[in-house]
Amino acid sequence: MVLTLYGNPKASCTQRVATVMHEKQVPFKLVTIDLSKGEHKAPDYLEKQPFGQIPVLDDDGYLIYETRAISRYIAEKYADQGTPLIPKDLKAKGHFEQAASVEQANYDAYAGKAVVEKVFKPMFGQTPDDAVAERLLTSLEASLDVYEKILSKQKYVAGNEITLVDIFHLPLLSLLPLTGRDVYSTRPNVEKWAKGLIARPSFQSVKDGVKSTA
Amino acid sequence: MVLKLYGFPMSTCTQRALLALHEKGVPYEMVEVQLHKGETKTPEFLAIQPFGQVPYIDEDGFILYESRAIARYIAEKYASQGTPNLLPTADLKARALFEQAASIETSDFDQYASHIVMEGLFKPMMGGTTDKAKVQDITSTLSKKLDVYEQILSKQRYLSGDNITLADLFHVPYGVLLKRAGADVLDGRPNVKRWFDDMTSRPSWQAIKSGSAA
Repeated sequence: MVLTLYGNPKASCTQRVATVMHEKQVPFKLVTIDLSKGEHKAPDYLEKQPFGQIPVLDDDGYLIYETRAISRYIAEKYADQGTPLIPKDLKAKGHFEQAASVEQANYDAYAGKAVVEKVFKPMFGQTPDDAVAERLLTSLEASLDVYEKILSKQKYVAGNEITLVDIFHLPLLSLLPLTGRDVYSTRPNVEKWAKGLIARPSFQSVKDGVKSTA
Repeated sequence: MVLKLYGFPMSTCTQRALLALHEKGVPYEMVEVQLHKGETKTPEFLAIQPFGQVPYIDEDGFILYESRAIARYIAEKYASQGTPNLLPTADLKARALFEQAASIETSDFDQYASHIVMEGLFKPMMGGTTDKAKVQDITSTLSKKLDVYEQILSKQRYLSGDNITLADLFHVPYGVLLKRAGADVLDGRPNVKRWFDDMTSRPSWQAIKSGSAA
């Protein structure tokens, strides 16, 4: 039975999982959850995802939520096809986990919220909190200064091969310029890495909206 | 050569790594980092941990930072000793449910708990004044998440099933500080309380808790 992904075509988290599906060449069916109609808070959806968030993966009755958990599951289940995305060697794995933790604590914590304030809130007619957004972007820039150093010595965040963690940084990498801060022009290594990820066919397939591939 | 853990006893993130080391019975030497003397911002420190944070480990020259990455590395390397299955690897679905719980910990608990503790406990300890409205606001968000935890933990003993994993233990260092920080959120939900008390009564936490600010 084909994998079913419950999510929304334009939602960042849904796009993140869909990018991984494309990298691993795994067909999936997208079932759209309409957030504007509150479908993510409907009782039958809350049975699948008790936090009322998207996306959720249904693999023949096996349910899993949280984008990074879904992505890891796909990358492990389909380890032998598509792009290898999780290293097997213990020490390489250690560096992978280090980068994964940095992505959440030192990147997404700032970038995710800044993009919500500066990009999504105006899109939905809400007023952004500019003071909060500016503080978040300043913290993000401090982290990106460190990324600039790390990426001067290696091609990707966990080493010289691409891993899931690089993909986790999408789609926010493509949305950061819309916040009004120029995070790339003073950081050539970050820019090169980001542009390379954005150009990957997997992300190009989903960036304008995730579609079913099965 | 014995593993060196660079951090300090009161650091919540160092405690996260310490929990893993104690659960797996791995000998280590703690090298105390003088945070208050600005040691983490020196060029020597930044050459090793470029984000200027603790903890990191030096295992015979192999450097790893980010407490959750360190804990995962220890759990995998020493899989066959100490508490079993802290990071389930044998079964793909069990592993994915662990990743789901690990992601819930960072997105739905840590980002709120850490801010509450910073604002409500560490800030006054360093001579600042707590913004009580901010603490209340974040506490109310965390409370809603803990309502979901209560639901999940009413059906199973731990966050990813009936066996304890790292994802559960990661909650402890900030969890024990919430009440002192002004957020009494763990006692009022019977299953959450049962789960949390279970973890703090474990020998691993008992061995290191004297370093905690709780």
